[in-house]
Amino acid sequence: MAQISLDNLSFRYPGATADTLSGLNLEVAHAEAHALLGASGAGKTTLLNLLSGLLVPTGGALRMNGRDVSALPGRARDVAQVFQFPVLYESLSVADNLAFPLKTRGVSRAEIAERTAYICEELQITALREKKPHALSLFEKQLVAVGKALVRPDVSLVLLDEPLTAVEPKIKWRLRQTLRKVQADLQVTMIYVTHDQTEALTFADKVSVLTTGGILQTGTPEEVYAAPSHEFVGHFVGSPGMNFLPSKVVGVSQGERVGFRAEWASLSQQSALSDGAVQGLVTRIRIQGTRAGLPYGLVTVATEHGELSVRGELSLGGEKELVVGDSVAIHVHKYVAFEAQHKVGEGELV
Amino acid sequence: MKVKAGRWVLCGYCVYLLVPLYWLLSMAFTANADIVGEFSVFPRDATSANFAEIFSNPVWYQAFGNSLSYVVINTLISLAVAVPAAYVFSRYRFLGDRQLFFWLLTNRMAPPAVFLLPFFQLYSAIGLFDTPLAVALAHCLFTVPLSVWILEGFFSGVPTELDEMASIDGHSFLYFFFRVFLPVNRGALGVTLFFCFMFSWVELLLARTLTGASAKPIVVVMTRTVSASGMDWGVLAAAGVLTVLPGILVVWFVRKDLVKGFALGRVS
Amino acid sequence: MPVVLIVAFSAVIPLMTVVNYSVQDILDFNSRFYVGLDWYRETLNDPRFLEAFLRQLGFSFTVLLIEVPLGIAVARGIPKTGRFTSPILILLAIPLLIPWNVVATIWQMFARPDIGLLGVAVNAMGISYNYTAEPMHAWLTLVAMDVWHWTSLVALLAFAGLSAIPNPFYQAAELDGASKWQVFRYVELPRLRGVLVIAILLRLMDSFMIYTEPFVLTGGGPGNTTTFLSQYLTTMAVGQFDLGPAAAFSVIYFLFILLFCWLFYTSVMVRRDES
Repeated sequence: MAQISLDNLSFRYPGATADTLSGLNLEVAHAEAHALLGASGAGKTTLLNLLSGLLVPTGGALRMNGRDVSALPGRARDVAQVFQFPVLYESLSVADNLAFPLKTRGVSRAEIAERTAYICEELQITALREKKPHALSLFEKQLVAVGKALVRPDVSLVLLDEPLTAVEPKIKWRLRQTLRKVQADLQVTMIYVTHDQTEALTFADKVSVLTTGGILQTGTPEEVYAAPSHEFVGHFVGSPGMNFLPSKVVGVSQGERVGFRAEWASLSQQSALSDGAVQGLVTRIRIQGTRAGLPYGLVTVATEHGELSVRGELSLGGEKELVVGDSVAIHVHKYVAFEAQHKVGEGELV
Repeated sequence: MKVKAGRWVLCGYCVYLLVPLYWLLSMAFTANADIVGEFSVFPRDATSANFAEIFSNPVWYQAFGNSLSYVVINTLISLAVAVPAAYVFSRYRFLGDRQLFFWLLTNRMAPPAVFLLPFFQLYSAIGLFDTPLAVALAHCLFTVPLSVWILEGFFSGVPTELDEMASIDGHSFLYFFFRVFLPVNRGALGVTLFFCFMFSWVELLLARTLTGASAKPIVVVMTRTVSASGMDWGVLAAAGVLTVLPGILVVWFVRKDLVKGFALGRVS
Repeated sequence: MPVVLIVAFSAVIPLMTVVNYSVQDILDFNSRFYVGLDWYRETLNDPRFLEAFLRQLGFSFTVLLIEVPLGIAVARGIPKTGRFTSPILILLAIPLLIPWNVVATIWQMFARPDIGLLGVAVNAMGISYNYTAEPMHAWLTLVAMDVWHWTSLVALLAFAGLSAIPNPFYQAAELDGASKWQVFRYVELPRLRGVLVIAILLRLMDSFMIYTEPFVLTGGGPGNTTTFLSQYLTTMAVGQFDLGPAAAFSVIYFLFILLFCWLFYTSVMVRRDES
């Protein structure tokens, strides 16, 4: 298990005019589940390849447990990787696949048997031991791939490159759960790369939001959600993303703009005393459940500052049910203030 | 920088290929008398007379045209037939499918000599004797099985999830086939196209049997490069050099497809 | 709907061949069959047939044993990207595109001890090399020519197969600490299986039927030390006009190839269906 440090890491592809990654700084603690969240093209794959040894950084250093491994080839790094689709040895059985990374390192047969049995237990794939990959479902194959990545007791780091991609949507959550459980049980340092913020927030201890060239913010899922340090983070994280309004409109003096989450605002009937509230028309209602017997969900409101989303009870003042076309006022209760896209403060309103 | 052992093998093999090719080239630029006369590593009096002979003599360049036409026709027909057939073999299981598949391959296993007489009679009977079409069709006997064989192998490797995804997305079969499936299999198509072209281009027996004076292919002309003084090695060599060129064009045309193989699992 | 189309297409080929076979049947098979079972017995007992057969076996197996591993090794050495890939593929394709009689002609001149590059070079090294006089030299030259001519077939097919392997498989093997041999055995070979079956069967069949190249190069000689099956058959049928035995011979020839290929094919396909 390892502690990973990215120390001013940069990478530029040969022949490219600009760095794909520049000056990245990141600390991943030992046994931490860390998610790298970013849109396509942000450089996630490049970063993964730097971590796995496929690429060598053009600037800065990559350290594992303090040791500079920037130039070490993949096989010397004690790193394992799970890919978007199951990458297994097709001609070997599940048991032999799991044993492979151990066999190449000269581990004794007894130890191999013991360790693979343990991994099978953890992932609940013992019944599949003698089968060959072609006889397994995609989900099972990916489980085996995860097992293969975890099989070495001394593995420093497990990289996961959007591992849920190939799995059916209906059972993605099962794989996610298994990953979480296994990570905690085995205390493995995991770096999980994804463009899906739900995956990132539910899986990780810490999330880093990556955008072209750099890491915008690293923090716990709660921090990244509720206290984004950059407008992009606020927008990218959460479903829906943050709402943005000019600060003055809501009566806030900090910064140029404020961002607020859908659940940090409430709706009321439009009236003359809606001071510091934003007027708009309801364009869409999505029921997401009930709370205290009342329908609850996401309301999309069209205002002069764009479309805003508010999450809460689907009624006005607890009496009249909300309907598309209603005129409403949005009251912001909690906000984060941004200046030139960077967070400058946060606060609450009555 | 590590040099893979494979690179050495490749280099050695390339040298092995190049030496006789150089010899061919050298002979092409040497007058026949000099070839037979004395040994020299480089052509002593390099001449382009051999090539001139080929370019000026209508027998030669018409023959080129004839060969090209039946090879192109054959390749088109073969692919048109083999692609759907291979798709069916790879996707569907029906009664006797394996037997049918193997039977198809056996067509290629028979020595072509076995078919000489029947084909001669058949194509004469339907009035196609001495036409490129006859040779093209006759060649289908072995190019189609080979194509189906290669294509089926590649097609089977493409997961059926691809077909399902396309139908879920509401696309018609034709759309799926031409816009999704075939592009994914570009590598296989490239390889198959090359082999169809190649086997048809070099085939001699059937091409000779089914053609007379008007559709005489290049392969036949090359067996008859005899002048008054015996075999004209120089002209033959020059013809040999030129004969390789269409094939090179084909390889160049499909080179990217060969390297692509096909994409598996690039889902994102 | 497409199935109907496809079955229609597939019917074209059987139709074609049925026509051919039936014509063939009418012509010489049927009549021979009832009248001349003796022909088969005679052929199978002919010592020269057996000799040619054994020579053919020897040749085919030697050639296969060299060309398949060599072809794979060459394919593995071809860079998948970069500016050398296309020229290399073109170079590899050239021997395949030369009409077979020209191939033999090239080697005929090339190997001549008096005016050929190879012949002169080998003799200059002190070995008295003459492929028209020495059977062993003739064999070696034939094998060398065949390897030169056909290895590219295996190499190109193998290369297309290798190119189909996605990079993550190689990456994973690297992280697993796999040796080069293990990468070949567990990543590449399993995925090359289909392609190799095609390559091996093609070379097996074609080398077993080989005619033009040995005929032009050695004429079957010296003596009949390089007379393989096809040439013997042709001599019988065309040279000596022994059509009876020749027909029997053809059938035996074809059946043997069929048997061989069927055995190989089903054994591999059975394994494929299992998996």
